[in-house]
Amino acid sequence: MEVRPVQPPAGFIVNETNARQCPGVLETSWGNAVDAANLVRDAIYRSTIALDQQDWNGWLEQCDDEFQYAIKSWSPEINKDMTYLALDRKGLENMIKLLPKHNTDHSPLTRHTSVYTVEMNGDAIAHAVSSVIIYQTLLDGINSHIDAGESRLFLVGKYIDKLKIKDNKAKFISREVRLENRRLDKGSHWPI
Amino acid sequence: MAAKNHRQWTAEPNLQMNEWVDSRIYSDPQIFEEELQKIFKKTWIPVCHESELPKPYDFRTTSIAREPIVVCRGPDNEVRAFLNVCPHRGMIIERRPSGSFLEGQPSGNPKRMTCMFHAWQYDMKGNCVYISREKEGFQDRLCKEDVGLRRLRCEVKFGGFVWVNLDDNPKVSLEDWAAPAFQCLRKSLDAEPLEVFHYHKAVVNANYKLWHDTNCEFYHDFMHYHNRVTGFNDAYFARKNEAFDHGHVVVGTFQVNYEKYEGFESRAALSFPHLPPNQWYMIDLFPGMNFNLRGSALRCDIVTPLGPDKVMIEYRGLGLKRDTPEERMTRINHHNSIWGPFGRNLHEDLIGVQGQGTTMLPGSEPRRILHGRHENQTIHDENGMRHYYEEWGRWMNRRPSKPDQPFSEAIAVAAE
Repeated sequence: MEVRPVQPPAGFIVNETNARQCPGVLETSWGNAVDAANLVRDAIYRSTIALDQQDWNGWLEQCDDEFQYAIKSWSPEINKDMTYLALDRKGLENMIKLLPKHNTDHSPLTRHTSVYTVEMNGDAIAHAVSSVIIYQTLLDGINSHIDAGESRLFLVGKYIDKLKIKDNKAKFISREVRLENRRLDKGSHWPI
Repeated sequence: MAAKNHRQWTAEPNLQMNEWVDSRIYSDPQIFEEELQKIFKKTWIPVCHESELPKPYDFRTTSIAREPIVVCRGPDNEVRAFLNVCPHRGMIIERRPSGSFLEGQPSGNPKRMTCMFHAWQYDMKGNCVYISREKEGFQDRLCKEDVGLRRLRCEVKFGGFVWVNLDDNPKVSLEDWAAPAFQCLRKSLDAEPLEVFHYHKAVVNANYKLWHDTNCEFYHDFMHYHNRVTGFNDAYFARKNEAFDHGHVVVGTFQVNYEKYEGFESRAALSFPHLPPNQWYMIDLFPGMNFNLRGSALRCDIVTPLGPDKVMIEYRGLGLKRDTPEERMTRINHHNSIWGPFGRNLHEDLIGVQGQGTTMLPGSEPRRILHGRHENQTIHDENGMRHYYEEWGRWMNRRPSKPDQPFSEAIAVAAE
């Protein structure tokens, strides 16, 4: 019976370097690099679950101390690349801590994330690009009698993530939420 | 008195006639249509900023009162505005939000505004310069000279904003209309070129005036935790609400203590020219424009009414054109922390105005909406809204508190 090597998934770019040098990856093979990529994928999906559950601290636990977060969008109106929010980990912690002090639209957000590409380099750093579609299920944002329970498309974009892999765990170093939207209506107080 | 029965609930409040309005002015479809005709088609509207079309042949599209508009910069560097409508068959000429006419289009040549439908072409002054098969179709009955674009009044003023008026003969010049209200900031806004760094829009199910009310009254700062901790002090409560001719209002400045909100920082290092550190000015222009300068960043809101209970609000953030990348990023962060779509205050403001819109749908029971606070014309005095609605009554010839009746100047003045 012919033994066929493990093939990397679609979109995963594997080279000699990333296959050999990922800490936590024991052998030099396609399969080991795929193991590292799976850690990255797992981290992205688990972060999606934490964000959907509004488990902000659980989400931050998946992030490095040096974590940088930004929401950006290109505007064909003003022909500028725009930053809608940019915070480091400390800034996010402050923002999350003060959420109860603010009046907020509590309509839950549900993120549909699909990891498109994971690219490794020799420094145990992974770059991942995911598609994300965010639905808002109305609760108290407009007129709850009429609208509560209705799900609407809220945001469309990509997660552009950088993660580091250490001790068989992937932690976020940075996340850029790259939105297509410039019509944002009420916006949100929450990390996207 | 506790909760009220219907008669008590709908009774006139024990206030002067100019201290409340009838909610139908926020919901009545006929009043809304009149507003488009009598106000929005007659007044000056800032449609964009000059930095959005920095080079010759750059353009920007917009609309006022359902009329599509194209603004372009000519080879002579002049910014001009036209109806974005082809005089041939009524096709919208330019469909993109912005771009450059230097690029040729599938139906037309570079340096032309081309209607894609039948390839009629116009130059940057609105002259028709090409009609496809002109002689064959029109012989000598109609020629290029007969069919130029509809030009519009257009000026670049007050910090580089592009102002358009659909009325060829406005009652008052732009300078006379807005200069007194801009006086407090004009030196700062005109000291050097500004540049837009932020744009987003919100469509909200509420009347446009409710958004402008929110910008005019600061009593709602009780809703904003950020403003309470960084602002509520003697200097804040002494800020003056000053009314200007033509329905405009300016809220005077004071020094904001940004550091009192955890994670925020002073804006002193990047103050706009000629301003002391951490100042906060607000200029509200009739019928729905707002210029808000918080130390290091300028915000501009422009409303486009879409229906009696629907408005689009465009938000822009501006800094100095000469900013270094580091300075620009700091200004952007300052702007976003409160005013961005993911900032702390704008979300709260929009929830508030959406909540008002929810109770004032077309056909809902007319109610009294109060603006009767008097606090020596300081920040929580509602003289700004009273001033606005007096102007609104004049333009509409309707009494804001009894919109079925004609406006009477004497009543408004006597009540004040």
